[in-house]
Amino acid sequence: MIRFDRRLLAHFDWWLLIMFLLVCAMALFNLYSASYPPNPYGTPPYLKQLYFFLMGFAAILVILAVDYQELHFWNYFFYVFVVGLLAAILIIGKTAGGAQRWISLGFFNLQPSELAKLMLVITLASYYSRKEVTNGYTIRQLVVPIGLTLAPFVLILLQPDLGTALMLGIIFVSMTVFVKLRFSVYAILGSTSIAMIFLAWEKMLKPYQKQRIQTFLDPEKDPMGHGYQIMQSKIAVGSGGRFGKGYLEGTQGHLHFLPERHTDFAFAVWGEEWGFFGSLFFISIYFLMLLWGLYSSAFARDRFGMLLSFGIVMLIFWQAVINLLMILGFLPVVGIPLPLVSYGGSSLLTTLLAFGILLNVRMRRFQNGQNGD
Amino acid sequence: MEKKLFIEDLEEITEYDEEAVNMLKRRAMVAIGFILLFLLIIISRFWYLQINLGEHYRALAENNRVRIRSVPPPRGHIFDRYDREIVTNRPSFNVALIREDSFDIQGVLKRLSVVLDEDIEVLWERIRRGAGTPRHFPITLKEDVDWETLAYLENNKYKFSGIRIEVQPVRVYHYGDLGANIIGYIGSISPQELEADEEGVYEGGDLVGKRGLERIRESDLRGEKGSSSTEVNASGFEQQQLKQEDPLPGRDITLTIDTELQRAAEQYLAISDKAGAVVAMEVDSGRVLAAVSSPTIHLEEFIGGISRKNWNALLENPRNPLLNKVVQGVYPPGSAYKIVTALAGLAEGVITEHTTFYCPGHYYFGRRLYRCWKHSGHGTVDVRRAITESCDVFFYQTGQRLGVDRLAAYAKKLGLGTRSGIELEHEKAGIVPTKDWKRKRFKEKWHEGETLSVAIGQGFNNMTPLQICLMTMAIANGGKIYKPQIVEMVKTADGEIIEQLTPELLSELTSREKRYLPIIEDGLYGVVQGKRGTARNVRIEGLTVAGKTGTAQVVRLAQYKGLKEQDIPYKYRDHAWFTCYAPADNPKIAVTVLVEHGLHGGSGAGPIARVVLKKYFEKYLLEQARKKAEEDQDGKA
Repeated sequence: MIRFDRRLLAHFDWWLLIMFLLVCAMALFNLYSASYPPNPYGTPPYLKQLYFFLMGFAAILVILAVDYQELHFWNYFFYVFVVGLLAAILIIGKTAGGAQRWISLGFFNLQPSELAKLMLVITLASYYSRKEVTNGYTIRQLVVPIGLTLAPFVLILLQPDLGTALMLGIIFVSMTVFVKLRFSVYAILGSTSIAMIFLAWEKMLKPYQKQRIQTFLDPEKDPMGHGYQIMQSKIAVGSGGRFGKGYLEGTQGHLHFLPERHTDFAFAVWGEEWGFFGSLFFISIYFLMLLWGLYSSAFARDRFGMLLSFGIVMLIFWQAVINLLMILGFLPVVGIPLPLVSYGGSSLLTTLLAFGILLNVRMRRFQNGQNGD
Repeated sequence: MEKKLFIEDLEEITEYDEEAVNMLKRRAMVAIGFILLFLLIIISRFWYLQINLGEHYRALAENNRVRIRSVPPPRGHIFDRYDREIVTNRPSFNVALIREDSFDIQGVLKRLSVVLDEDIEVLWERIRRGAGTPRHFPITLKEDVDWETLAYLENNKYKFSGIRIEVQPVRVYHYGDLGANIIGYIGSISPQELEADEEGVYEGGDLVGKRGLERIRESDLRGEKGSSSTEVNASGFEQQQLKQEDPLPGRDITLTIDTELQRAAEQYLAISDKAGAVVAMEVDSGRVLAAVSSPTIHLEEFIGGISRKNWNALLENPRNPLLNKVVQGVYPPGSAYKIVTALAGLAEGVITEHTTFYCPGHYYFGRRLYRCWKHSGHGTVDVRRAITESCDVFFYQTGQRLGVDRLAAYAKKLGLGTRSGIELEHEKAGIVPTKDWKRKRFKEKWHEGETLSVAIGQGFNNMTPLQICLMTMAIANGGKIYKPQIVEMVKTADGEIIEQLTPELLSELTSREKRYLPIIEDGLYGVVQGKRGTARNVRIEGLTVAGKTGTAQVVRLAQYKGLKEQDIPYKYRDHAWFTCYAPADNPKIAVTVLVEHGLHGGSGAGPIARVVLKKYFEKYLLEQARKKAEEDQDGKA
């Protein structure tokens, strides 16, 4: 068993936790409205989400008890487990909306691609912290992380789930750029990815994926399709005005004009009901939480801690930015949830686990005196 | 202990490189700036959507949410002067499709075509015509479905998704085609009419007045639409009723028409298969009691839109049912015009009541021979006899003494050659020729000989039956021209009077001119009541009638001269006029009859006037007969 150091409690970042809990509470509150009026059959989404929160908080407690350094070790299993699930899902997965994304666990449908996001953060943090390079990584040194990213990336792309696959790519790029590359590597990776994108457009994208992107570029062409979803989302947010229509008073969500109102477009419901000032409040807390996390990453105990917390912040940040820009009509509908706000057990658990790790790193910033300050 | 174990295990990773750490710190700070940048973008976007465009999106959300349907108001009713219903409404049950609510349009239409007994292509055509409207708008597939079909559709609702029964008021014509040419009909609003609708009271599919009073009094009859606002969800299903505003029924219109009189005249014309017009008017007010134009249009044909075939038949009919001959038909007045010539001659002093002319049956003017209709001649006639016997020679000479312009002045005074302003469409002014008029129209000088033709009502003269009736009215009532009135009042559905129309005096003869009226009245009395009158066949037992016959030449072709009247082709036969008032000593009503190609005023038009008078004086005549019988009994006793 692991002994718990009393000093850890003193170093626990209560502010981060408070911001985090505040966001969770508002999100749950919003989810009640986003799934209103309640479906008489089955557990309502906000209640399910509450169970996941409770499960997640329990998991956080367990995570906090263990030094994050042990992730170096456990991540091998985690990686194999997640990639194995992703492979298995292609064979036994539950089909929904033409894509195989879930594994049924009885009480809930596990979406391994969500876990893969966190898994990739830990994997890359672990790798880059072990292979420390001061003047930038060479292309040869990147072969291993690229390979480690590509395996889940391809498996997710095959489901097909373009959004999540892209998310993995973004995590990879963020973390890799963060640890610094040789200049030549930027050039090589840049040109290869442009070629890849072109190739993907021609060969790999499914028609519906192409259509989503085309619709985004020219929404007038498809008023009842995906352009319609974005239009309705903009109407929801915009009609909120300064102070919103009031809690449970939003019409766009309750009358089903808003698509995916409790998942991808959940924040549009908040925007409609709480208006500009409500949105400003929510987004500010949310981003303050991220900035706080990022700031603390700079003062982590070691390189692994820094990379872990940076990766986790980026993981949440990019999903939030992509989701918000989609709701606000700046991006096509890509199926990226707003972490903590969108309904979805796998996404929520992943985010909570990630937060647990973030708090863990933060809590252990002074241990072993390895950090200069 | 355990911790140490781990650190030993992962020796290589715990190496500490200050420079590398500082680099990551710097980069973390850059990332903070990066996140702040995105935060700024997102917040400004919220600002833009919610504060700058908030109103716009609020309206869009409201539009999304609320479906507003208009509820058609029942159109106003039309009554006759005795409050008899002429036009009212009844509900028509229409089968309509709401595309948005239908899961399987193809299947539904297939089943419907069987139930409605309608070709499926016809149904598709209806849908195609309505394709431009929003998907939640009902498209009418069939109007006026019977009860059995309704019951079937209602009981088998699940088989007909998206099908709705809509109730729409439709016109009921209680007297069939009575007054069709004055009442008119309604029909779907045309794109041009929609365009012209600046107040925005109409929408596609509305029924509006297309002709007659239905059109002229559209703004009274139409009422105000109600609306029903329902909240709908994204699938178009109605969630709850938000607001219901009842429509305001259209206003009812009471006509001055007496349906019995109108019907009597219409039936007589229809049975005798004659084209023409009949106008009956109260002489002391200008209220129109009957205004008949024959042949009539058939109102039933216009319900739900007239078929192309029927419309073409109307257009091609040589008797022109679409023309309201009362105000739109213009004809030379023939001898009826002699009233004008007589009044002008007397008032201008070119003749007196004792002036006589000798009529040998013809009159020479210049080198031309002008015939009297009675070739054997009338002998010596004064103005009274000249009117009674319709002597052409007398009026040739009177007209010659007057000149055309003085004649025209009196024609105008008696209501000819101008629009009366009656509430009917496209009223014609007719033509009262003058020297000026001819110069402008034909760029030609007036010939004196033409004055002679004009003086007996031929030549360039062109009048509507209504104008001739106005002239008759003025003679009968002592020189007053009232504006002919066809609408008596307008009431709300609750009976509140909105508009009460009263007689309007258009013009009046001077007292000097009025002095000569009795002379003319004497002549007119003789026409019916006299021994040698031209309309003795109009006489009614117990009633004195004063009138004037007229025969308007259509053509003067030598080839028909020798022929018997019945052998002349229909379209070249003369028009027949008869205009009269009664009772002669205390006039109540003026009646004018024109029968197109009816040959002679007395025989062609007279009997119709007689029918109208008999109907109008029905009670009066019964009273007279009863009195007479009593007197007879008294005499015997």
